[in-house]
Amino acid sequence: MFVRRLAVLATALLLSLAAAQTLVVYSSVDEENSNRILAAFTADTGIQVQMTFLSTGPALARIEAESARPQADVWFGAPSENHIDAKGRGLTQPYVAAEAGALIGEFKDAEGYWHAIYTNPLALGVRTDVLAQRGLEVPRSWADLTNPGYRGLIQMPSPQASGTARAVVFTLIELWGEDAAFAYMADLNANVQTYTQSGTAPSGALGLGETVIALQFSPGFLKLVDEGFPVEVVFPAEGVGYEVASMSILAGAQNLDAAKALVDWMTSARGQEQLSAVKTYFLPIRADVSAGEGIPSLDEINLVSYDPAFASANRERLVDRWVEEVLGQ
Amino acid sequence: MRRALREIRILARDPLLLFLVATVFVLIALFVVYPLAKVAIASLQTRGGDWTAEHYQLLQTRRLYQNALRNSLSVAALVGVVGTALGFVVAFTLTRVDVPFKRALHLITLLPIISPPFVGAVSILFLFGFNGLVTKQLLGLQDFNIYGRWGVVASQIFTFAPLAYLSLRGVLQSISPVLEDAAYNVGATRWQAFWRVTFPLSLPGIFSAFLVVFIESISDFGNPLVLAGAAFPMLAPQAYLEITGSFNLARGAMLAVVLLIPSLIAFAVQRYWVSRRQYVTVTGKPTASTSRIVSPAAKWALYALVLAFAALVLAFYAVIVLGAFTRVWGFDYTPTLQHLRYVFSVGLKSVYDTLIIAIVSTPLSGLLGMLVAYLVVRRRFPGKAALEFGSILSYAVPGTVVGIGYILAFNTPPLILTGTLAILVLAFVFRYVPVGIQNGIAVLKQVDPSIEEAAQNLGADAVTTFRKVTLPLLAPAFFSGLVYAFVRAMTAISAAIFLVSANWNLMTVQILNQVGSGRLGVAAAFSIVTIVLVTIAIAIITVLVERWSKTTTTVRFG
Repeated sequence: MFVRRLAVLATALLLSLAAAQTLVVYSSVDEENSNRILAAFTADTGIQVQMTFLSTGPALARIEAESARPQADVWFGAPSENHIDAKGRGLTQPYVAAEAGALIGEFKDAEGYWHAIYTNPLALGVRTDVLAQRGLEVPRSWADLTNPGYRGLIQMPSPQASGTARAVVFTLIELWGEDAAFAYMADLNANVQTYTQSGTAPSGALGLGETVIALQFSPGFLKLVDEGFPVEVVFPAEGVGYEVASMSILAGAQNLDAAKALVDWMTSARGQEQLSAVKTYFLPIRADVSAGEGIPSLDEINLVSYDPAFASANRERLVDRWVEEVLGQ
Repeated sequence: MRRALREIRILARDPLLLFLVATVFVLIALFVVYPLAKVAIASLQTRGGDWTAEHYQLLQTRRLYQNALRNSLSVAALVGVVGTALGFVVAFTLTRVDVPFKRALHLITLLPIISPPFVGAVSILFLFGFNGLVTKQLLGLQDFNIYGRWGVVASQIFTFAPLAYLSLRGVLQSISPVLEDAAYNVGATRWQAFWRVTFPLSLPGIFSAFLVVFIESISDFGNPLVLAGAAFPMLAPQAYLEITGSFNLARGAMLAVVLLIPSLIAFAVQRYWVSRRQYVTVTGKPTASTSRIVSPAAKWALYALVLAFAALVLAFYAVIVLGAFTRVWGFDYTPTLQHLRYVFSVGLKSVYDTLIIAIVSTPLSGLLGMLVAYLVVRRRFPGKAALEFGSILSYAVPGTVVGIGYILAFNTPPLILTGTLAILVLAFVFRYVPVGIQNGIAVLKQVDPSIEEAAQNLGADAVTTFRKVTLPLLAPAFFSGLVYAFVRAMTAISAAIFLVSANWNLMTVQILNQVGSGRLGVAAAFSIVTIVLVTIAIAIITVLVERWSKTTTTVRFG
């Protein structure tokens, strides 16, 4: 009797310890949305989360530099090819989410090293007021963007620094092949005002009127439209790539149970519903969850998939080629 | 050799001194030299750990790196020349010419020094960007492009000219205006008096200010990151991009080493050649504060220039304040507190963290600075020159290099510090102690050792002498060291970006993230909070040091 009670007590103690665990997360989802999603997770599960925002590059660099003694449990966000890269470098560990069956193959690793969180297509954000002032049409396709009338009006992130920009490169390669894609980007270069370091900077600049046409993933633009800016969101007609923001549990994670709980929650219908409930403008990865009102569903956009394994294996080479041929440096 | 042996014997007789010297040596070896060695090693290794020179060979083949090096050097040279010239004009006007509002103009000119990075860059975007207040709204320019060389140069001149001003002010104050007046009285024209007397006497100071601005410019990270753009590569941001964007630690380390070379050369020239040629013609108090060599016309021309720079500084800060309190700059000027609310909700932890780190590192840096200065000036021990060089070396090392070095050095046994408060504090203490050391050395060299000897003859031991006699004399140097350490700890970015963690984050890194996401309003709000905190802290340090030196000072000079 006493032994049994002791066992119950011990279990309760362990459980309460587990509940008191603080999950340490490196998040490459922008800070505001990270906070919203992770706060919903804490509200649902009671697990506290300590989050540091690091964009894709800094996060991976940090995780690798710290691999001898990991400081975080989960890498949350950043496109899936980076998680494939992290898996290849032995920085992450497998865990198959409870509801992994509800995700299509592109949204998870077969062995459970990473799972998708949400997905976003690439898009153009266009300041309709400024274009109208200048008597210019709203661009509808990739081909439209090289129109000389747009000289110095386009901002996009730099592939040297941003995963978003690399998604642009991979999309164009998938559409036209590598050489044609680079020839196109060299043409486009004449119209680019500046290449930003962060993948969400162009939409910020668009809101400020710093630029007129911005290229990045769609949420930043959908948000501007929602807030009443004179912005139109265009999905180039030839087709757009999309990011699958994913998460991995880091090798050597100290709060493994809490990390698994985050992966389970995020891939559940409940977790996916929170994406629109907290106004992230991210598209859910589960077919049984609605994206929310006013957000285009994935079947309305001409989506182009590229092989994340190719992306991961060729990233360094393609960035070097971009520097040489597009920047002309 | 025999001298060294004798010095060791003397050292062995004073165990406390031996202990202090040994401690300082170990600390500097560990926290200044070791991380730099790690960077050098990493730049010579492949990912697998084999030795290679392949990263350096890229310097010959990759135009990107050649351009980055050329751009960094040419920008640094240009910013050095223009920044120093501007600093000289302001310093000359405010020390030599009788004009109104000198005190206010002095303080306004210093404002950029206590500001977080990106203030210049963000203001420039607000004022001179594509949709800037001046370029678009006032001048109606359609396609003004601020990104690239000129954006960086303008923003760096704004950021670093005040440094030149501060150092040239000291130089001009130490040249007695009486000399100029004498030249004028014996028949020289005003122009001749300036070029034959004032200018030659201040030339070493001008050169020294140029080198300081050059070093600051070449290691600057914040301004180029926002304004250079990918089409105008520069070394410091490129090293960061190699590590964080291309995940290539070795290439980043290689660029860091390349970045180190011009900085170290400039530093060595400044330290061992220029600083030996400083002239001091003031003995005792300055006799007259204004010189007659400035004609009324020149006086107002100079004053107009100074007013113009001050107006620019004020405009930049006005824009930051406005930006922090309006919804979206350039689109929706509705007043709002939402950005400030963001700072005090989402960003609150980084405000606390920054303050804690600055408060812990400031006194450590101040005390270490005075201790090293004391050892270097007053004590004899072997390796003194090496110790002095090592202790001020980190001044010349760009922050990017320090950051990479610390993460390489302290994420593996024997000393694991990543993710802790300690790594940030140590980085800041050792990075910002040189100014305290230099000030301490300068003060101590002017104090006759016989005062300390007298105390010892009267029976005081070394510690009491240091505490009761030396330290009070050092109070002004200690104070300026403290202020410098605090300001830099609150505004540092280039080293800190590699060292922040989930546990310890900094406001400057928050500003970088916000600027990166194009949320300039929040960035401006963070900047204002930083400036207010720094100003309060300087006031507190002033009061504390004054009270402390009043209660302990026994001897006062001048």
